[in-house]
Amino acid sequence: MKKSLVVLLVVLLALSASLFAQGTSEASKGYDIYVYNSKGENATQFAAMCAAYEAETGVKVKNFSIGSGQDHMETLRSEMNSRNKPTVFSIQGIKELAEWSQGGFALDLNTVTTGDFGKMVSAIPQSLRLTNDGKTSYGVPYNVEGYGYIVDRGILAELFGPSNVDAVTADIKSATYPEWEALVKALDAWITSAKATTVTLSGKTYTLASSKGSLTSNLNGVFAVMGAEKWTYGDHFINVALNAVFTNELDANKADAAKVQSAKGALLAYAKALDLKTSYLAGLKGKAVRGQDFVSSANFGYDQVVQIFADNKAIFFKQGNWAFGNIAGVNAEQAQRLEFLPVKMPFQNQDIKRNDGMTVAMLNSSIPVFVPNFYAVNAMASKAEQQKAFDFLYWMNNSKTGKKFITEDFAFIPYNADPKTTTVPNSLGNSIIGYIASGHIIGAPYNGSPASWSGDTVGLRVMENYLTKKTWTNDDYSAIADYAIQKWIEMK
Amino acid sequence: MNIYKKWFWPLVMPSLLLFAMVILYPFIMGMVNSFLAWRGTYYFDPETGTRATNMANSFVGLDNYKEAFRDKRFVSSLVYTVKYTFIAVIMVNVAALALALMVTKITRSSGLYRTIFFLPNMLGGLALGFIWQFIFQIIFTDMLFSPDALHIPFFRYMTQDSTKALFALALLNTWQYAGYMMIIYVAGLNNISSDYYEAASIDGSSYWHSFFKITIPMLMPSFTIVFFMTLANSFKLLDQNVALTDGEFGTRMLAMQILRTIKDTSPPNYGKAQAQAVIFFVLVAVITLTQVAITKKKELEM
Repeated sequence: MKKSLVVLLVVLLALSASLFAQGTSEASKGYDIYVYNSKGENATQFAAMCAAYEAETGVKVKNFSIGSGQDHMETLRSEMNSRNKPTVFSIQGIKELAEWSQGGFALDLNTVTTGDFGKMVSAIPQSLRLTNDGKTSYGVPYNVEGYGYIVDRGILAELFGPSNVDAVTADIKSATYPEWEALVKALDAWITSAKATTVTLSGKTYTLASSKGSLTSNLNGVFAVMGAEKWTYGDHFINVALNAVFTNELDANKADAAKVQSAKGALLAYAKALDLKTSYLAGLKGKAVRGQDFVSSANFGYDQVVQIFADNKAIFFKQGNWAFGNIAGVNAEQAQRLEFLPVKMPFQNQDIKRNDGMTVAMLNSSIPVFVPNFYAVNAMASKAEQQKAFDFLYWMNNSKTGKKFITEDFAFIPYNADPKTTTVPNSLGNSIIGYIASGHIIGAPYNGSPASWSGDTVGLRVMENYLTKKTWTNDDYSAIADYAIQKWIEMK
Repeated sequence: MNIYKKWFWPLVMPSLLLFAMVILYPFIMGMVNSFLAWRGTYYFDPETGTRATNMANSFVGLDNYKEAFRDKRFVSSLVYTVKYTFIAVIMVNVAALALALMVTKITRSSGLYRTIFFLPNMLGGLALGFIWQFIFQIIFTDMLFSPDALHIPFFRYMTQDSTKALFALALLNTWQYAGYMMIIYVAGLNNISSDYYEAASIDGSSYWHSFFKITIPMLMPSFTIVFFMTLANSFKLLDQNVALTDGEFGTRMLAMQILRTIKDTSPPNYGKAQAQAVIFFVLVAVITLTQVAITKKKELEM
C-alpha cells in the first residue's frame, strides 16, 4: 500500500508538472494581439478604445486592465509565465525595465526602422525614452504626468484681489526661495488674523486682503500634507532635489558613490524645504502640528488630506494631476480652478552638479513632468504578432480616433502633444501643458535610484524619526541628508 | 468485496490530485528554486549576466541562503516574529481558556456567548487589520486613553512603536482567535467527568487546587492542539501585519519580509525570497513538532 502511494504521488507530480509546463499552440489563442494595461483607472475607456480599433481594422484585440490600486507586477509576471503572453505590456520606468530587459521580454524598439511605427519610435524625444544605456528604447510613453503645489485660484483671488490672480501666480512661479519662505510665513500669520500685510514676489510687492472671504475663512493652515503617505515626501518631494544633481533617470541609475555623495547640498535643501512645509500644516479639525497624529493614516492619509484641501482648509497641496479626480469628487467647483506652482527648495549655486546649464532659478520655477508608464512590445511574440502590435500602437498615438481616446476619455496628456494646440478636459492637465510650453520642466531622476530607496527607506526614516518631531535642528537636516546618501550607496 | 476498498481510490483521487497540484508540486519547485537565481519570470545566469538558457546554468548553490542571513531586515524580522509569538501564544491561550471556563460554567444562554466569542474569527485578516487600525488610531489614541479621558500613554499610538505594536498585534489576534480556541477548550472541558471534581471536593480540594490538579492535566490533549495552532498561526502572521502597521516602525514580521523581498530588489530576487521561505518552513516545522512532542508526553492516558 505504501509503495503504491509513493508511485501514485510521483505520477500525480509528473501530471501536475506537465499541466504547469509551457506549450505553444498558436491556433487556440482567439485573438490577434493581447494588450496588458497596468492603469486600472481607465479600464472601461481602454476597453472601448480596443473595441474601436477592432471595428476600424478588424484586428482582434484582447485587452486586460488590472483593478485600480492592485499590484500590477504580480499579475503581469503570472501572465508572462502563462502560455498566452501579452503582446503589448507596460513598464513603469527604468526600475521595472531591469527585469524585462534582462529576461528578454522587452523588445528594443530602435530595431524597428521601417514603416510608420519606425518613424514614430525614432521621433520620441530622448528625454522621454525608456532606456538603460542611452542607446536602446524599450517603450512608447503612455502619457506625461506632473506634480507641484496645487493651488486654488479662487483662494488667490480672495488673498490678492481678483484682478491680480494671473500676475501673482506668475510671480510666485518665478519667486526665489527666500521670497517663498516669507510668503508662507506671511500667509500663516494672515490665517491667524487677517491684516493687510505686504509680501514681495519676484521683486514685486503685493498686499494681502484686510479681511477673509468666503473661501479663505475656511483656512486653518498653509499646507495640506499627507504625513502618512511616505511616497509623497519620499519619492516625489525628494525628486525635486535630485534634479539638482542628476540630469535624468539613467544618470541617477549609473551614478557612482562620489556622485551620490555630491548630492549632500541638494538633500540638505530638501530637508529644509520639508521642514518649512510641515511647520505650517492644515488639519481636518484646525491647524495641525508635526507629531504622532501627523503620521497616522486615520488623520493624514491620502483621502483625509484631499478632503482638507478640497474643503479649502489649506492653500498649497503638493500632489500630481492624478489627484484631479479625487479632488473633483469632493469639490467639483474647486477642481475647475486649480493650477500648479513649482516646489521650491533653498538650493545654492554649488548644489547644482549638472553640467547642462541647469540653474537654481530654473529649478525653483519648474515642475517635474515625466512619463509614468510605457507600452512595451513582447520580444517573445512572433514577428507577425509584433507587427500587429506596432500597427496598434501607431494607430493609438496618431489616428484621430486614437488621439481622441487619449486626451478626452483617458484625460491623458499625450507625450507627442503640441503644447500650443492641445487641451485636456481638466485644469491640472492644462496647467502642466502650460509648463511644457514654456519649457519649465524637470525630470524624475528618483526613478533611477536603487529599488525601494526613496519611499520605503528615506521616506520611512523621515516619517518615523522626523515627522513625529516638533522642531528640527541643523543636525537633523544633516542626518536626513547623510542617511539618504549612505543608504543609496549601500543599496546599489 | 469490501465497499470501502472498492470506493477508496475514486474518493481519494480528487483530493490527492489537488494536493499534488497546489501543495506538493509548488513546494518541491520552491525548494528547487531556492538554489537557483530565479527572477520570477525567468532564470538568471550569473556567469553570462543574462537570461539562463537552462535551469542548470542558474544554479547558485547556497548563495540565496547566505544572502538571506546577511540581510539585516530578515534577521530583525525573525527576532521580531519570535517575540511576537511568545506574547501572542500566552495571550490567546489565557483568554481562550478563561472564556471556555466561563461558558461551561454558566447555564443560561451559553450557546449565545459561544457564538459571540467565535464571531471575530469569521472576518479576514486584512479587514481585521483595518478595523483595529481605526480602533488603535482613533478610539484608543483620541478617545479612551487620551489625556482628557483615562490617559494611559502606553495605549496611545500603539502602531507607532515596535514594542507597543507587538502588543497591538497580539491584542488583535487574541480577539480573532480566542473564540476559536475556546471551542477546542470547551470540547476538552466537557470530556472531563464531573466525578473527579466531586471526589476532590469531598476530600476538601479548593477550586484552584482542582483546576491545577484535575483540569489542566486532563486538558493536555486540547493544549497540544491549541498550542500547535497558535504557535503556527503567530509565526505565519501576514495579513494583519500588512494592514495594521505595514511593517513601519520596525514591525516587519517574517512572512511580510518574504513578500517584500521581491519589491526590495530589482530585478526581483525570487530565489532569495524562496530561500527565506524554506528557512521559515523549517523553523516553523521544528518549533511546532518539538512543542507537539513535549505536550504529547504530558497527556494522560485514561
